Amino acid sequence: MKHFITIVAILGIMTSCTQIPTSTSPVDAVPSIFPDYTDVVIPSNIAPLNFRIEEKGEKYVTVVTGRSEKVIITGSKVVIPKGKWEKLKRTGLIEVQVYIMDQNKSWHSYTPFTFTVSDEIDPYISYRIIPVAVESYQELSIKERNLTNFKENTIFSNTMVQTNENGTCINCHYYKNYTTDNMLFHVRHYKGGTVLVLDGQLHKVNMKTDSTLSAGVFPAWHPTHDYIALSNNRTHQSVHSASHDKLEVLDDISDLILYDIKNNAVSIIENDSCELENYPAWTPDGKKLYYVSYKYEGGYGEKRKNEMFLARKEFHFNLYSKSFDPDTRTWGPTKMEFDAAALDSSITWPRVSPDGKRLLACISTHGVFPLDQIVSDFIMFNLEDGSYRHVDELNSPFAESYHSWSSNGKWIMFSTRREDGVHTRLYFSHIDENGHFSKPFALPQEDPDFNREFLYAFNIPEFMKEPVHITPRQFASFISSTEATRSKYESKKGE
Amino acid sequence: MTVCENSSFHAFYNEKRGKNAIFGAISYMHARANIRYMTKVTTNKSIRLSEQLLKYIPILFAVILWCVLSFREQFFLKKVEDLSVFLFDKLFIMDSFKTPGGFLGLAGSFLTQFLFIPWLGALIWIALLLLSYYLTIRTLRIPERYRPIALIPVALLVIGNMSLGYGVFIMREQDHFFAPVLGYLAALIPLFAIKRTQTVASKLILLTIWTAIGFPLFGTFAFIGTLTAACTTFMDQEMLRSKRLTILAVSLALIIFIPLIAYSFYTSYRLVDSWHMGLPSISDDQWTFAIRTPFQLALLFLPVMAIASRRLKETDSKNIIFQTSVYVISATAVWGFWFKDDNFRTELAMSEAVDRFEWQEVVDFYRKAVDAHVKSDDKAYDDRTAKLKGVKDQDTRNSIIDSFSDRFFEPTRTMVLYRDLALLKMNRALDEAFTMKDGSRMQKSRTIIPMVWQSGKQFYLQYGLVNMCYRWCLEDVIEHNWSYSTLKYMVMHSVIMQEPELADKYINKLRKTLFYRKWARQQDALKSDREKMSAAEPYNSILPYMCFDNHMSNDMMKTETYLINHFLEKEPVSATPEYDRAALLFAMHIQDIPLFWERLFYYINSNNLKVLPRSVQEAALLYSTLEKDGRQLPLDDKVRESYNEFNRYVQNHPIRSMKESEYPYCQKFGKTFYYFYYFMRDLKTY
Repeated sequence: MKHFITIVAILGIMTSCTQIPTSTSPVDAVPSIFPDYTDVVIPSNIAPLNFRIEEKGEKYVTVVTGRSEKVIITGSKVVIPKGKWEKLKRTGLIEVQVYIMDQNKSWHSYTPFTFTVSDEIDPYISYRIIPVAVESYQELSIKERNLTNFKENTIFSNTMVQTNENGTCINCHYYKNYTTDNMLFHVRHYKGGTVLVLDGQLHKVNMKTDSTLSAGVFPAWHPTHDYIALSNNRTHQSVHSASHDKLEVLDDISDLILYDIKNNAVSIIENDSCELENYPAWTPDGKKLYYVSYKYEGGYGEKRKNEMFLARKEFHFNLYSKSFDPDTRTWGPTKMEFDAAALDSSITWPRVSPDGKRLLACISTHGVFPLDQIVSDFIMFNLEDGSYRHVDELNSPFAESYHSWSSNGKWIMFSTRREDGVHTRLYFSHIDENGHFSKPFALPQEDPDFNREFLYAFNIPEFMKEPVHITPRQFASFISSTEATRSKYESKKGE
Repeated sequence: MTVCENSSFHAFYNEKRGKNAIFGAISYMHARANIRYMTKVTTNKSIRLSEQLLKYIPILFAVILWCVLSFREQFFLKKVEDLSVFLFDKLFIMDSFKTPGGFLGLAGSFLTQFLFIPWLGALIWIALLLLSYYLTIRTLRIPERYRPIALIPVALLVIGNMSLGYGVFIMREQDHFFAPVLGYLAALIPLFAIKRTQTVASKLILLTIWTAIGFPLFGTFAFIGTLTAACTTFMDQEMLRSKRLTILAVSLALIIFIPLIAYSFYTSYRLVDSWHMGLPSISDDQWTFAIRTPFQLALLFLPVMAIASRRLKETDSKNIIFQTSVYVISATAVWGFWFKDDNFRTELAMSEAVDRFEWQEVVDFYRKAVDAHVKSDDKAYDDRTAKLKGVKDQDTRNSIIDSFSDRFFEPTRTMVLYRDLALLKMNRALDEAFTMKDGSRMQKSRTIIPMVWQSGKQFYLQYGLVNMCYRWCLEDVIEHNWSYSTLKYMVMHSVIMQEPELADKYINKLRKTLFYRKWARQQDALKSDREKMSAAEPYNSILPYMCFDNHMSNDMMKTETYLINHFLEKEPVSATPEYDRAALLFAMHIQDIPLFWERLFYYINSNNLKVLPRSVQEAALLYSTLEKDGRQLPLDDKVRESYNEFNRYVQNHPIRSMKESEYPYCQKFGKTFYYFYYFMRDLKTY
C-alpha cells in the first residue's frame, strides 16, 4: 500500500510538473490534427473533442484553455478529461495551443485554434453500422449514441434474428418528431416487415399490397398526424469497372405511398409509370410533401435495368412538392420546385429545417443514390425567397449524403466519405441565422484514432431527443415471434 | 521356443530366480518346468516392450502428423492463415468479445497467424493436441491400460480440421483451426479446480463462477467443462448421493440459465445459438453440422469419460490388443476423413504462388499435377479398356466410361485459370496454354464453392478489374470475415487506384500484424507515388490490362464468364499488347471462330509479331479449314504437317464417342489446339 501511495504521489508530481515550453519558435500555422477540429463551432453539450496531432515530433504538449480553466496534455493523442471539458465549455470559447519538440530538441508553438461553444444539440443520435458492401450483408446494427459522452448502445442488430441460411436486413430507422416512442425501421427477408413503435407498443406490418410496388422504403413520418410517407423502390446495383466511384445504385421503378397508421392502410401518393419518385420529406406543419422524381420513358421488361444503367448519366432528378391536407388526407397538385435537370444535375434527399425556412438536399451530376457518387454535394434552398446555393462550407471532394436537422434547427448532422472516399463518417455543423454553416467536425470519439481504425460505415444518421426505451432483446423477441400484419390498400384522395 | 537354450536367457533366468533355483534345477522335470516359466517370462518381456512402445505411439502419431502437415499440407495451412486475421489492435480485440467465446476466438486467431510458417503453426497445433491428450488422461484419471482412449478426442479434433477441404474458403470464424483444441483444453480447467475443493458449497461456487466467466471467454466449451466437472463429482462415491445430485442439478441449471442471463448483455446472436457459441460455422446449415460434429463428439467425450473412467479398473495386465485397436482405429479414422484431393492441393499451391506473383511456380505446380497422374491415367485407361472389351452396346460402354471418369486426371477451372494467368504474365500463354491438359473437374466439395470466393479477387486484380476485386474483398469480409488476404488485396486495389487515404486504412491494419507489417510498409511508399507504383510488382503487370473505359458491370458470381465477357465484349480504345493477348486467349478458349479472327487481328496489330505462336497457328489453320474461307495464312510447315496427321488419325481411328476417344487422342494430340477444339467442349465453370 505504501508503494502504491508513493507511486501515485510521484505520478501526481510528474503530472503537475508538466511544463509548458517557454522557449519556443512560432509556427505560422495551426497544427495538422485528426479529426480536423481546428476552429470549429461545437454544441454546449457535446462530448470532448479528442484528437491526434499529426505533425511529426519527439514530444507534444497541448494546452487547452478556457477563461479560467487550463488543461495540459502531453503526447500526440490529446484526450481531454470529461470533467475538465465540461468546465472548459462553460467559458464559451476554448483555445488549443500545441507545442511540438522536434528532433533537435527545439520546441515549436503552433498557431492556436479554437472551439467556439454554441447552441445545444439533441443529446442522442442513431445510425446504422454497416460493412461497406455491394450486395452481401451479414452484421447490421442500429446504434444509438449519447452525444454528451461516448456511450453507444445497440438499438437492434439483425444477428439477433437471422439464421445461418436466412439473412435479415435492417434499414431506414426513423422517428416521429425526434422522440422514440414512435419510431420505425424495416426488416427485410427473414422475419421481414416494418417494425413500428407506436406510443411505445411494438407492431410489425407488411406495407406491400397488390396495388403497390413494394414494401415501404425511405420513410417520412408526418409531424402532426398518424401518417407516414414512404417510397417504394425496386433497387439495383452495379459495379464501376474502372473508376474512383465504386458502385452505381438505381431504381428501375419507384413510387410514393402514404401509410395510414390508424387504419393500417396504404394509399398511393405518386405512381406515374414514367416517373421515378423518391425521398419524401414533410414540411414541419405537415401540409406539404417534398420529393424528387425523374421522368424515364424507356422500355419495360428484362432489358429495362441494363438500359437504365447505360443511360444512368441522363438521370436528373428534380425537386417536386405536393400540398396535403392531413385532416382529410387529400393531396393537392404536383409542383416542380427545382429543375435540376436544367443544370445537368440531380437532386436527392430533400429535408426541411424544423423552422420550415430551409431545405437541404444533395446534388450530384446524375442518379438517385448520392452516397456512391464522389461528386455528391449539398445544396440549400431558402424556402422563403426561393433562392438556393451550393453549401461550399460543408462540401468536400468526396461524397456528402444523408443528413438530418437537429430538433432546434441549429445543427445538421450528415454522412460523408471525406476521410477516405469509402467509409462513411458522421459530421456536424452549426447553422447561423443567416443560413451559413460552420466548419463541419467529426462525431467525437473517445479514441481519436477511431474513425481511421473503424472499418465499418455509419449510415442514416438521425437525431433523437431521448434514447430508445425498447431493449434489443425485446425487439429481437418480437421480430422473431410476430408475423407482419398485411396493410390494406386505400385509394388516393384529391387532385 | 528355441530361445530357452540360449545363454542369455539363462542369465536372465538366473537373475530373476536366484542362484539357488539353478542349483536345484537338476532333474528333467525341473528343466521342463523351467522352460515353461522361461517362455512365460520371455513373453512378458516382449509384452512389456510392446507396452513401452505403445506408450510412445501418441508421440509417433504427433511426429507423423507434423511431417504430413509441414510437407504435404503446407499450402492448406497457409490458406487457413491467409483467410484469418489477428491484429494487435484495440478495436480488433474489443470486437472479439462481442460474442461469447471471445477469448477463444482471440487466442485462436493469435495462434493461427503462426501458420504463416506452416511447420511452426503445425508444431504449435500438435503441441496443443498432445497437451490435450495428456491432460485428458490426468484430469479424468484414466487408468493406464485405457490411456489410448484419450487419443479419441484428439483424433476427432484432427478430423475436424483436416476434413474441412473447400470449406476453408467459406468459414465464418477466423480462429476455426485453433479454437476447438483451445476450447477443449479450457474445458479441462474446472476439472483441475474442482478436485481441489472439498465442500459442496465451494464446488458449487466454483462451478458457478466458472460457468459465468467461462461462457463469455470460451463459449460452449465452458459448459462442457462445467458438465464434465459435475460428472466427475457425481461419480465420487465418497460423497453423499444427495450432495452429488445437488451438484449435478445445479450444473445443469447453470448451463441452461447462464446463457439466458448473459443474453441481456449481448446483441450479436440469437438466444437459441447460445449453446453453440465458439463452434465453427458457415452459411450452409448441413455443412455446419458436418463441420461441428467431430468437435462436438470430442467435447462429448469429456463428460462421458468422466462417468466411465471411474468404472475402468486399473489392473496389472495391459491389453495390448485393446490399446492397439484404439490406436489403429484412431489413425484410420483420421486418414479416412482427411480431405485428400489432389486438385484442391494443387489449387492451394498455385494460389499461394499467385499471391507471391511467382508465375513460373504457378505453371510448375500445374505441370506437376499433370505429370503426377500419368501412370494412374494409363492404369485407368488399361482397366477401362479391359472392361470395355467385348461390350458392344454403346449405352453400356458409356456407363462404363462414366464410371471410370473420376480415375482420370482432370484439372478444375480454377487451376486452368491460374495457369493461363501465369502464362499470360510471362507472355507464354498463346504458346503453351493449349499444350497442357485442360478440363473442368468439379470440386470435391459438399457444395460447390463459387470461384469468386476462392480466387475471384486474385483474377480480378491481376486482369486489371480492380474495382471488381475490391467489390469481392468487401463481400468476402461480410460473408467470411476479415482476413490478411482481403486486407492485402484491398491495399493493392487502393494503391493501383492511387487512393492514398483508403490505402492507409488497410495498410495501418496490416502494420498491426506480425508477418505483414514489412509488406505494408512497402505499399505505404507506393500509395501516392504513381511512378514508383507503376514500376513495382505486381502493379507493373496489372496496369497494362487497365486500358479499358469504365463501364457498369456485375459478374453474377461467375468469375470466368465475367472475364471472358470483359475481354471479348468490350473493345478498349487503346488496347495494350497484354490486353490483346489475353483477349485472344479467351477467344480461343470459348472456341468462337468469328471472335477468334477479330481478336487475332487486334493481337497481331498490337504485338508486332513476325511468327504467330504455335497454338494460334493451329487454331487459325483449323478454323480456316472449317470455314473453308481459303485464307492465306503464314503458317509453319510443321503446323500443317501436324494438322494433316491429326486428320489422318481421325480417319483411321474413328471416334465412337468423345469420352471414349478422349484419352487416346490426348496421348497423341493432347498438345494441339485441334485436340482442345474437339475434345474440350462444354467445360463448366462455377
